[in-house]
Amino acid sequence: MNKFYYGLAICLINSSAIAHELTPTYPELRPSYIDEVSVTNMKMWNRRNDVQYYEIGVFDEEWEPIPFATPAALLKLEYLEHKSFEIYIRDKDVARVEYICTTSKQLKIDVQSTGVKSKICSRMK
Amino acid sequence: MFKSITLISAMIVATSAYAVDSPITGNVSSKCSIFTDKAGVYGNPTPDELSTLTADGGVLPIIRYDVSIADYYTAKISWPNSFSSSPTLTDSIAWDGEVTVSATSDAGMSGYEAAKVEYDNHTEYDLTVAGSTWFTVESEAVYGQDKSLPGGEYKANVVAECIAD
Repeated sequence: MNKFYYGLAICLINSSAIAHELTPTYPELRPSYIDEVSVTNMKMWNRRNDVQYYEIGVFDEEWEPIPFATPAALLKLEYLEHKSFEIYIRDKDVARVEYICTTSKQLKIDVQSTGVKSKICSRMK
Repeated sequence: MFKSITLISAMIVATSAYAVDSPITGNVSSKCSIFTDKAGVYGNPTPDELSTLTADGGVLPIIRYDVSIADYYTAKISWPNSFSSSPTLTDSIAWDGEVTVSATSDAGMSGYEAAKVEYDNHTEYDLTVAGSTWFTVESEAVYGQDKSLPGGEYKANVVAECIAD
């Protein structure tokens, strides 16, 4: 019970809490308008006021990068901005795709003594 | 009297005539959010050491994970094992750290700390209960063999990951 109150206190004291969200948890690839290329839609919400850039990555089960195309591999999102984006993957790579991730990229000048790099990964089902 | 009864009847009839269902529908989907509740700061308790421990003059970073549905995500938190920026260092740094659950929003999360998996500088928690969990990250860096750290600014990153199961 004490832990709950401690948690609640942190919530109230740290009203400047900042967050990073990526949905959906389990995206699905569908055929795109380009032959032999599949596409999925993802959505980001930037609630980190110390971060404006997020890097998109696509990985296999062993966390090896998989080639993909997207309008901007480095997303710029202002604080509290929502952004939807499409990820295009060649059909020959579709079976290997396991994770789609976004990772915060902080500018050197924005990092305090210890910065927090946040990474959220959705998984193909 | 007759007029009043007629009026009331008309109101009742009218009300029932225009009463329609206005359903509100919603959908709760699985989602993970990572909050940086508190950025950490290194203290410098001895000339060769940097530490986020309060006793060493530092500030512990606090990271909060919110999951909307149970059992969909794993939290992986890594304490730093290199500086993202620092003055030029001519000797090695010995890194150490610890990630602990400092608070939870649900009693069902009480087992998280005992069930955590640690390897290298990483700690993994299976987020089996929906709600919020707060993690505290300790980080210590000790320089060379009794050497003082060069003067300047030191920065390091904690990596907080939320990976769909």
